[in-house]
Amino acid sequence: MAVEAKMIDIIVEQLSVDKEKVVPAASFVDDLGADSLDLVELIMAMEEEFDVEIPDEEAEKITTVQNAIDFVAKIQE
Amino acid sequence: MKLPELKIGSFIAKIPIIQGGMSVRVSTSALAIPVAECGGIGTIGGSGIPVDELKEDIRKAKNATDGVIAVNIMYAMKDFYELVMGSIEAGADMIITGAGFSRDIFKIGKKHNIPIVSIVSSPNFAKLAEKLGAAAIIAEATEAGGHLGTDKSLRDMFPAIRKVVSKVPLIAAGGITNGVEMAEMMDNYGADGVQIASRFVLSEECAVADEFKQAYLGAQEEDIVLVPSPVGLPGRAVKTPFIQKMEQGEDVSAKKCEFKCLKKCSYKYCINDRLTAALEGDLENGLFFSGANTYKMNEILPVREIFDRFVKAAEAVYKEKRVQA
Repeated sequence: MAVEAKMIDIIVEQLSVDKEKVVPAASFVDDLGADSLDLVELIMAMEEEFDVEIPDEEAEKITTVQNAIDFVAKIQE
Repeated sequence: MKLPELKIGSFIAKIPIIQGGMSVRVSTSALAIPVAECGGIGTIGGSGIPVDELKEDIRKAKNATDGVIAVNIMYAMKDFYELVMGSIEAGADMIITGAGFSRDIFKIGKKHNIPIVSIVSSPNFAKLAEKLGAAAIIAEATEAGGHLGTDKSLRDMFPAIRKVVSKVPLIAAGGITNGVEMAEMMDNYGADGVQIASRFVLSEECAVADEFKQAYLGAQEEDIVLVPSPVGLPGRAVKTPFIQKMEQGEDVSAKKCEFKCLKKCSYKYCINDRLTAALEGDLENGLFFSGANTYKMNEILPVREIFDRFVKAAEAVYKEKRVQA
């Protein structure tokens, strides 16, 4: 749960969206209105917060809130 | 007065002109070599061709000139990394990249000690590229040919980018056709150099079919239009029968995907097929990417002559009256 809560906070801050909208199925681009720069900055914020390195190839696959949570959870296992 | 050199990483272009990379196979070593010989940065278009072909062409260019040879690779390519690594292995002097934003590329650049030049169209991406380690930044506006990242004109877009780029050279690109405009961008807008592409298609050395050059020469202002690209960005091109068909709603898609070249493709049409058809001079089916001001150019010239005219016109007015960043 810790990852999930932290992730939601990051997304709310980076994309300036309401917390209620940040549901697992939400797509950053289609549902949360992220543009290409927002996506890069979001990934960078994730790297900093969770102390992980996210290569381009992985970053491209992170398109929804759930993807992001899963990715970090997997890395931290 | 004399134009300044353009220093990117440890490489010095005597003339601050980067020849824009044009894919597929529009700017090959045939064009990049004479550009580098004239003191500019010659750029091989590295997208949409096999890695081995690219490597061979880079080696050919590097063997032929002591000048600066860059490779332009779109991040949107599925084999982006293979193309980048192949370019480094073959001895390219720098990598220029756009059409999407890679962060890994800067790590690769540092690891292999090769300058990475980012093409951007907004202040935020310019800032990010500089922060991540870009050796130079190309600010490319909507007047450019090919894939576009903005609908802003060069003179509207450039000042905000100039304000945020302070550590590395900033190059103006999009619609520049002559030395007066080059001097204007450097004097009044504070650019450290310019990137020019379409002007070099209309060179004797550019290896495209003559029909391609004639399509440029015959184009009027209204004939150069925006067209959706399967890459997911708008592109600028000469309005040819293929584009008219697409506008009329005809199905222009390929029967099957032969290349699997893009990370994400809309499959509206096959961009590799269409660009290759243009290269071969197929006016009916080809996609002829072109800058917005190609209609202002009416001569095919040797690369040396293009350089001489640019430099002469630019130096006649250039005063190094740099804007305050």
